[in-house]
Amino acid sequence: MRMVNFRAPYNTGRLVVLLAVVLLVGFLLLPTQFQGLFQRAGSPVGWVVSWPLRAVAGVSDGIADLWAGYVALRTVEAENRELRKELEYLKGQNSQLREAAAATDRLAALLDFKQQIGGTTIAAQVIGRDTGNWYRTIILNKGEADGLRPDMGVVTPAGVVGRIVKTTSATSVVLLVTDPNNAIAGLVQRTRDEGIVEGTSNGSARLKYIPMLSDARPGDRVVTSGLVGGFPKGLALGTITAIHKEDEGLFLSAELVPEVDGERVEEVLVIQSLAVPGEGDRLGAPKVKPKS
Amino acid sequence: MNVLVWSALIALMVPLQSVLLPHVKIAGVTPDLALVAACLAGLLGGELHGLLVGLTLGWVMSLFSAIDPVVAMGVKGVVGYMAGFAGRHVVYLSWPMLTLGIFFLSCSAGSATASLLTLNGQQDLWWALRTVVLPQGVLDALAGGALYWVARSRFSVERWMAEYRT
Repeated sequence: MRMVNFRAPYNTGRLVVLLAVVLLVGFLLLPTQFQGLFQRAGSPVGWVVSWPLRAVAGVSDGIADLWAGYVALRTVEAENRELRKELEYLKGQNSQLREAAAATDRLAALLDFKQQIGGTTIAAQVIGRDTGNWYRTIILNKGEADGLRPDMGVVTPAGVVGRIVKTTSATSVVLLVTDPNNAIAGLVQRTRDEGIVEGTSNGSARLKYIPMLSDARPGDRVVTSGLVGGFPKGLALGTITAIHKEDEGLFLSAELVPEVDGERVEEVLVIQSLAVPGEGDRLGAPKVKPKS
Repeated sequence: MNVLVWSALIALMVPLQSVLLPHVKIAGVTPDLALVAACLAGLLGGELHGLLVGLTLGWVMSLFSAIDPVVAMGVKGVVGYMAGFAGRHVVYLSWPMLTLGIFFLSCSAGSATASLLTLNGQQDLWWALRTVVLPQGVLDALAGGALYWVARSRFSVERWMAEYRT
């Protein structure tokens, strides 16, 4: 019979096999107890192992953070710059499109209005303001070469802007309704009382020479009377905000809020000639029906 | 400066005054750069130069305003001439002195304009002084003073003035 030599290296293998068999049998016959035993025995081992594990994980995380925060961001930074550039471009494009849409709306309204008022009108663009501080005027990009002359009326779909006072071959100067030196014949739309609209020194306008017995009141609209000057009848001039009785005067006067803000207007129509209604139109005579 | 430079300056003055300056109105008033230019032209170039530049600027500016061209030309021409006359009698011109001088000339020109223009009944001389003449005088003086200060700090203006007038 051979003696078991524990020091012999080849017996270690047998011992391991034996231990494995015992463990396997133990796991098969007593699974819960064996698992608990291993769990308890593994706990301190796990604690010990957790230290290097955490250290390595920390280093790994640090490297990952470094990579994500610095090295990988080199491309992100460039991408960010590109995106910012693209955003700026799109913002600019958006702004241009909004401006184009607004201009289209304004020009469509102007065209519509041009067809409504009849007569001959010329569209013009505002290119500047008065070069001094004494008058409220705007400068148009059309002049004598385009057929504009002094005293022609200037309007927008919202109402009256003013009157041309000076022209060069390529530009015109328009005195605004709000200038105290301007005077336009107007009437209160509801009561049909006539008067003269002139600007005031504070930038608004007023209707002068309203008859003393007039029923005009705040909120009434004032329109052109069409009697004098280059404006057809019925164009909006402003809305009455207050009525005053002049001291020892024979007339009333009304403060107006002008319909058009001359400081903000961009495109206008210049009334070159008014549509003169025919005799039949003016008398309201019925039109002759064509024979069928 | 030759005629070409003055012409370019006058041509640039109109868009500057009618397009750009209305965006920077202070108390509803813009500085009259044409008047400042006439003053500086007179100071730097003498009476004749000031007169010519003032007349030309007044005429060109009046084309783009409702103002009477004769009044505009006359006032700016006289301002240019007076600036030239004053400049000939001054040996050393400091910028505070120039600022005060422009303020005085601008206020005088504004008062003269208000008297000469046939303004509406609402606009009396007191209204003109309060709302246009004094604010514009201040702005003109500041603009002229700033321009002169910048020119003096960059160039030897006195030597240039002396050489230019001889």
